[in-house]
Amino acid sequence: MTEKLKLIDHVEAINWNRIQDDKDVEVWNRLVNNFWLPEKVPLSNDVQSWATLTPDEQQLTMRVFTGLTLLDTIQGTVGAVSLIPDALTPHEEAVYTNIAFMESVHAKSYSSIFSTLCSTREIDDAFRWSVENQNLQKKAKIIMEYYRGDDPLKRKVASTLLESFLFYSGFYLPMYWSSHAKLTNTADLIRLIIRDEAVHGYYIGYKFQRGLERVSEAKREELKDYTFSLLYELYENEVLYTQDLYDSVGLTEDVKKFLHYNANKALMNLGYEALFPKSTTDVNPAILSALSPNADENHDFFSGSGSSYVIGKAVVTEDEDWDF
Amino acid sequence: MDYHSLNAMLNLYGPNGEIQFEKDREAARQFFLQHVNQNTVFFHSLAEKLEYLIENEYYEKAVLDQYSFEFISSLYDRAYAKKFRFPTFLGAFKFYTSYTLKTFDGKRYLERYEDRVVMVGLALAQGDEKLATNLVDEIISGRFQPATPTFLNSGKKQRGELVSCFLLRIEDNMESIGRSINSALQLSKRGGGVAFALTNIREAGAPIKKIENQSSGIIPIMKLLEDSFSYANQLGARQGAGAVYLSAHHPDIMRFLDTKRENADEKIRIKTLSLGVVVPDIAFELAKNDEDMYLFSPYDVERVYGLPFSDISVTEKYREMVDDARIHKTKINAREFFQTLAEIQFESGYPYIMYEDTVNRANPIKGRVNMSNLCSEILQVNTPTTYTADLGYDVIGKDISCNLGSMNIAAAMDGDNLGQTVETAIRGLTAVSNMSHISSVPSIENGNDMSHAIGLGQMNLHGYLARERIFYGSDEGIDFTNIYFYTVVYHALRASNLIAIERGETFVGFEDSTYASGEYFDKYTDQQWVPATARVAELFETSGVHIPTQEDWSALKASIQEHGIYNQNLQAVPPTGSISYINYSTSSIHPVASKIEIRKEGKIGRVYYPAPFMTNDNLEYYQDAYEIGAEKVIDTYAAATQHVDQGLSLTLFFKDTATTRDINKAQIYAWRKGIKTIYYIRLRQLALEGTEVEGCVSCML
Repeated sequence: MTEKLKLIDHVEAINWNRIQDDKDVEVWNRLVNNFWLPEKVPLSNDVQSWATLTPDEQQLTMRVFTGLTLLDTIQGTVGAVSLIPDALTPHEEAVYTNIAFMESVHAKSYSSIFSTLCSTREIDDAFRWSVENQNLQKKAKIIMEYYRGDDPLKRKVASTLLESFLFYSGFYLPMYWSSHAKLTNTADLIRLIIRDEAVHGYYIGYKFQRGLERVSEAKREELKDYTFSLLYELYENEVLYTQDLYDSVGLTEDVKKFLHYNANKALMNLGYEALFPKSTTDVNPAILSALSPNADENHDFFSGSGSSYVIGKAVVTEDEDWDF
Repeated sequence: MDYHSLNAMLNLYGPNGEIQFEKDREAARQFFLQHVNQNTVFFHSLAEKLEYLIENEYYEKAVLDQYSFEFISSLYDRAYAKKFRFPTFLGAFKFYTSYTLKTFDGKRYLERYEDRVVMVGLALAQGDEKLATNLVDEIISGRFQPATPTFLNSGKKQRGELVSCFLLRIEDNMESIGRSINSALQLSKRGGGVAFALTNIREAGAPIKKIENQSSGIIPIMKLLEDSFSYANQLGARQGAGAVYLSAHHPDIMRFLDTKRENADEKIRIKTLSLGVVVPDIAFELAKNDEDMYLFSPYDVERVYGLPFSDISVTEKYREMVDDARIHKTKINAREFFQTLAEIQFESGYPYIMYEDTVNRANPIKGRVNMSNLCSEILQVNTPTTYTADLGYDVIGKDISCNLGSMNIAAAMDGDNLGQTVETAIRGLTAVSNMSHISSVPSIENGNDMSHAIGLGQMNLHGYLARERIFYGSDEGIDFTNIYFYTVVYHALRASNLIAIERGETFVGFEDSTYASGEYFDKYTDQQWVPATARVAELFETSGVHIPTQEDWSALKASIQEHGIYNQNLQAVPPTGSISYINYSTSSIHPVASKIEIRKEGKIGRVYYPAPFMTNDNLEYYQDAYEIGAEKVIDTYAAATQHVDQGLSLTLFFKDTATTRDINKAQIYAWRKGIKTIYYIRLRQLALEGTEVEGCVSCML
């Protein structure tokens, strides 16, 4: 990048005892509770399952994950960071730093999956594909342009669409595998990522809506037009990308419904009405149910670690607790 | 629509906000139409089928040779006449993916549910036609369900063991440690879970051959065990799984807990091994007084007392050991210890807890219980093994194995003879003990030969209560639990006594037990046990289940004191995962985790399961465990615990608003109520408002 590095002009010591927006604290706490590292998930339990996939399916899976790696890299190193200068509160800045870090954790997680399941040559091939695939590169380019642009609200729109929409063509596949009893530990890890992205998209969308409240009616109209035209642009490209990936296994139509569903979700996060009618968002129930970010599944000790546990709040016991 | 999608619709509300139960039944039907029926090998007759299965080494010939063909044929007819149908998709799916006999290439099915049930009955009855018939009746009606290894393996030629569960001691020497690794490999190869007690191993920095700072402690042993379990699995049927138990007063206790920390270093992080902590009463007393808690070097304790650390009561010897200068000790703050325990449970669900002194006070058998198992329901005494220099056996000690099976409480109450159901179950489980010879681990084989220990469990408590419109954890719910378990223990002892009379044989050490002294029976002969609520009295009345009287107990006591009992241990209530789905039960005696449960397992992926007997009209009785809260679960378990000689897997459920203090309070409450063990701590975190999936049943409170 050639442009001048943009930093916040003025920094004040952040005081968490003076909260301007309760949402900042709520989301910060949620993100901290949700902290995890890929080493937590016993991915190696999927090695046998991986071997049952056909070569085409394996290649598809790897390509999907390299695509996701690229998006997470963008979001971690550019996206979340670019939102910091426009933050409305100092606490919002802190939340973005957390988001940025977790995006880097996500990007690294895919590498954990790769190194557990595949050979170095296969990994290199998949990464080469991600560099050469035009639709993937275009997707990255569109988003990067808006991150570089100088309208803070537009950056938030781009970021929300990335978090709540663009990831999901990739997330479809591990959910699909897990509903067919394949790569279930990998799916656990992806579900942890989804759990994070759901909060990220929601939060950035929320901040966008707060930002809208401070601008003129005309500007609001402009932003709405902008949002929908950006979504169209991304959607068209996403359909092509989806075809590249999923045509070989015949899942493209199903994935598209999933894209519609998530595009609506992204718009909802931004406070807009749905774009795609209900008839085109009837996602395969197995995928939809698998998506639930709640930590409520039941598993036994023979299975993986699941996506349920969180970092707890430590409170010391008092004398009255020990009164027996 | 394919059956996975139909099943998933169970988790999505219908157009009028109702749960779509019919979609799940349709999923089960489609599973048969689209998949099972097309992939089942067809035979013209039973004779042709059995001949083929024996010829091609699918069935064990010796099992069938014990019976006439006429009898076998009539037993199949009897089973098929029951017209069994799977009421849920998960039940059917689980059975066909994990239990039924398949062709060697894994592609086609050779058994239907009825075939599996008959084969289990024939194998366990070992030629006894009456027992075979009784077992088939009990299993096909759902009243009794053998545990996974027994149900999966019985009668098959290529199979793992019939036993679920193993518990071994490790002593403080390299021979014992090496043998343990070997046992971990051998036993997980044969199926089931293995637990090890690490309490006797000297701590990190302890001397070796009197030279200080030599030992690396327990963590590297845990690593070795974890890798051993991952390596061996039972013909791919299930992944090897293991647990390790450590005394709270072992000097490595904090390191042990830290292996489950989210940010633990890879070198010490333990991912798949389960942890358990053995907590004596003294730890609670120290915490009450907010005192420091001393940890004692097992190496020194063994030298001072001439006994391994795990064979000493820490509560009893605590002050003495604190004052003994020969024993190296370190200290931690007792309350901080409990808080750390809760923190780790928050992050990982582990460790399990065994309340050491509660367990030993309730143990009718001579000796000490110093560990539990992978599901924290097995509680038996053990003795150490010693080895010669060439790794041979010097003295073969007594280690623990336990085969399990569970009764479906609703089906058992509906059946016409609860006593008969219990007796058949006890005979079936005893058969598994008699048929098991784990020669690769002689201490296990020895323990089984001496004790014939079994574990009869129970499941579907919540399903039954909800069907009868009783709230889980209400006075009536607890009253029912008490009287039901009271009735079961009577019949379990009666059955074991019958077997002892028939065979003229008791378990080794019967004469030293409180059964022989009669002390065990005091609580039943000195006091009357009757329902406290009218509703429960009515339930037993209308079911025609006789509640044993004090006279019944006196007679049984006399017979047991004269003839003994055959099984050293009789009851243990396991968590029942897979088998409760097949059996259409709620798990164990827990409340449901969710109205629509999301089940994830390596072999079946993500599948949805409706709570048994639930309809859109009785949803209020299916409050989930998180809503019900820890206290009612503990009260229910306490009512059952007093009638169970071993343990009960007790999971505690918390909402994510809970703190470590809430977990600590529950642990203290459980201890005060006489609970023996705590299994997992489960936390439910709900999606941040605004990020949930719309219309999803399991996302709603």
